[in-house]
Amino acid sequence: MALKDLQEWLYGCTHCGTCKDVLNIFSPACPAGEKYQLESYFPSGKMLIARGVANGVLNLDDDDTRERIYACTGCLSCEQQCGVYHHQHIFETVQALRSEAVTQGNLNPAYMVMVESLKKDDNVFGKAKAERGDWAKDLKIKDAAKEKTDVVYHAGCMLSFDPELWEIPRSAIKLLEAAGIDAGIMGAEESCCGGRAYEIGYDGEFTKYAEHFIETFNSLGAGKVITSCSDGYSTFKKLYPKMNIEMKFDTLHTAEYLDVLIKDKKLKFTKKVPLKVTYHDPCHLGRHLGESGIYDSPRNVLKSIPGIELVEMERNRENAWCCGAGAGVSQANPDFALWTANERLKEAQSTGATALVTSCPWCVRNFRDAVKKYGENIEIYDIAEIACKAL
Amino acid sequence: MIEAVKSRLIDQLDKIVGSQFVSTNPADLYIYSYDLTFAESHSPDIVVLPQSVEEVQAILKLANQEKIPVIPYIAGGNVGGLTIPLNGGISLDLKRMNNIIEVSEADMYALVEPGVTFGQMKAFLNKNHPTLKYTYAFSPPSTGVIANAIVQGLDNLSFRYGAASHWVTGLEVALATGELVRIGSCAASKTWQAIAPFPELDGLFLGWQGATGVITKMAVSLWPNPPYNTALTYMPMDLEGANEILQSIIRTRIPDDLIGTSFTLNKAGVAAYEHRKMDLYPAVKREGEEPEFVITAELTGNNEKELNAKAEAIGEAVDAKCQSYKFTGPETMPSTTAAFPMQALGVLSSGGGLMWVGTYGPMSRWLETVKKGCELQDKYDITRTCYTRIMNEGHFVGLRWMLPYDKGDPALVERIKDLCAEQLELVLETGYIPYKTPVWAVRKLEEKVSPDWLKLHRRIKAALDPNNIMNPGRWGMPRE
Repeated sequence: MALKDLQEWLYGCTHCGTCKDVLNIFSPACPAGEKYQLESYFPSGKMLIARGVANGVLNLDDDDTRERIYACTGCLSCEQQCGVYHHQHIFETVQALRSEAVTQGNLNPAYMVMVESLKKDDNVFGKAKAERGDWAKDLKIKDAAKEKTDVVYHAGCMLSFDPELWEIPRSAIKLLEAAGIDAGIMGAEESCCGGRAYEIGYDGEFTKYAEHFIETFNSLGAGKVITSCSDGYSTFKKLYPKMNIEMKFDTLHTAEYLDVLIKDKKLKFTKKVPLKVTYHDPCHLGRHLGESGIYDSPRNVLKSIPGIELVEMERNRENAWCCGAGAGVSQANPDFALWTANERLKEAQSTGATALVTSCPWCVRNFRDAVKKYGENIEIYDIAEIACKAL
Repeated sequence: MIEAVKSRLIDQLDKIVGSQFVSTNPADLYIYSYDLTFAESHSPDIVVLPQSVEEVQAILKLANQEKIPVIPYIAGGNVGGLTIPLNGGISLDLKRMNNIIEVSEADMYALVEPGVTFGQMKAFLNKNHPTLKYTYAFSPPSTGVIANAIVQGLDNLSFRYGAASHWVTGLEVALATGELVRIGSCAASKTWQAIAPFPELDGLFLGWQGATGVITKMAVSLWPNPPYNTALTYMPMDLEGANEILQSIIRTRIPDDLIGTSFTLNKAGVAAYEHRKMDLYPAVKREGEEPEFVITAELTGNNEKELNAKAEAIGEAVDAKCQSYKFTGPETMPSTTAAFPMQALGVLSSGGGLMWVGTYGPMSRWLETVKKGCELQDKYDITRTCYTRIMNEGHFVGLRWMLPYDKGDPALVERIKDLCAEQLELVLETGYIPYKTPVWAVRKLEEKVSPDWLKLHRRIKAALDPNNIMNPGRWGMPRE
């Protein structure tokens, strides 16, 4: 979306600051604002920056100004808290500013590397495309690119290229197998969903990936795409439909699908997992999906595991504090990303839980990195990992 | 600001608060140069965010030495353009100083730092002191508790206790020179229960819009939080009826809060509360049998019996005096208290702009002033948006016409400016005094006061702020 197309919303913000805190709880809502405190880091400040740029008063060739625009995890908590009519367009405005910067050639070096990797190897981590399916090397799973399966499991960039997280897709596959699902993967033929490119302002790259992805999956004939990546999931559900290309497949998140399989009695948990856990709602699985946010499914899965005690954090569901990794922040501003994650870990610990469970590999990665950096005493699991323990 | 001075200043400020809390970035300066009013934009030269009293003192000492303006800032939502730096200088953003230092259950006060917001206070009391409550304005949760008291705001216990400055029980202030003073009982003891019986030096800082010092701590009264509450609503068909109903309720001394609004504003407010948009342009007129005004009395009680008795007494008082007026009510509604602080204000003004001529004045001239103010709105084809709150059991009254507007519509902005100018003339004629006074209204007020008042006022300002660094150009000294 170009800034000029958002003119209607640029004057919507009164700078009232309601976006700063979770409504009625009055706990902080905006990671960037909380971390940096200057008004320019809060959503209302960014709306004013957009107004300034649109009016030619501010320029995106200023590195510090761009730094403020990129210091946003795209968590959409502001959109949740703000009651004004522009509220569904706040991150769209931030994204438009990023897109404007890219169009003007005012690029962020960290993202240039990422985008080059996308162009060359279809992933955002600078890894060779041929390594994409390595996580499943020793698993006996069908190659969906070669034979038709009912379900295609899409691992996404993070789970494909981070060996420390491979237990997540492997657990997901084990669970699908346990439920008797005919599933396959694309292996090295899988590609990025393009969601991250969109969030950092590379609209052209996103369009390319979206078109490629939809056409590929349409041609496979699989009825369902299952993914453990919340970012990817919200890209499929929220951004792809804007491409106006028919999608002949349905997309489900692993947490959502496990919930269905449990309810259909196809998946049964028999082993006890004696843990007190709290659940972190990933922004892309919650707020990004609006009223279709997936909040109950992962909780249902956890409640169906024998031995699990689920306790809630104060900021949960639509009001969850972000993990800090989103919208390119973990790549370009790791300090901010990890600080944000640690704020969440402190909240998780205050519940008395010994483990935090979530449903997004970006969250898992960032939380585990934050544990390493800040030393909070809490274990981090993906929902598939914890469910797999109960098989 | 001369670049060499600025550079020297930045070096020093970096040392005081850390470089990450000093900014000269154009985006920051742009943001701190505006607010939601139509006040002319003026940019600060530097934005600084201290975290401690010592840091505030050091910044003031430095600014005083260099004769650089300092403009205290918390959320910037004052509807008076009060934090726009008329002469540039340092925007002193105090939001990092956000500790609720103490809540005394026995003495019923809270001691807070300047960055503490309404939202934070409410959450803290709900969690830790549920039998006590604070009072909140019709404003967003990000509003500063101290800022609201400094600008003498009107809140939802104002019928009982008056303006927000009236429930200040102690102050700590960093003077322009960097010296630190405590005012009230805290000057001589460890408790902050009252300003009295000391000389009331708090008047040197409250109502001054940050032109005499930076308040670094404030103690404010808390009140018992009765468990039962309700609201009674009356809807008179004309302003004469509204006046009579208000007068009747005032004399009962019963409500915690007594407010009235134009019916059209009430409709927009309800829509905003329900997250619906009601466009106020072109002007929304009363339809058919719609009332002119909506009056709401908020009641609380320790039990249901007390609550019902209060409602009954108000009903009897209104019935006894208002028979000759056409109105509906009382209708019992759920209390709106729980919704404060609220986001309705932001929603209502969702064109980025909100302006009003806000005033305090005598109840004796309320009817005349409201009528004329609403007629001025008609003249400019603007929806009637009168909002009034009875203060201190009717000893004075808050009155304003809320003007949400689209900042992106220059013709509308001009229309709003012209309306405000006329409404200001009107209120000054009827004895109403503008609060949160924008600088253009300060200058008008200064024309009305006696030369000796002006001399005294400026002498006080000069004594406290000899180099005129504290939010200059507003109260106490015109812009040079």
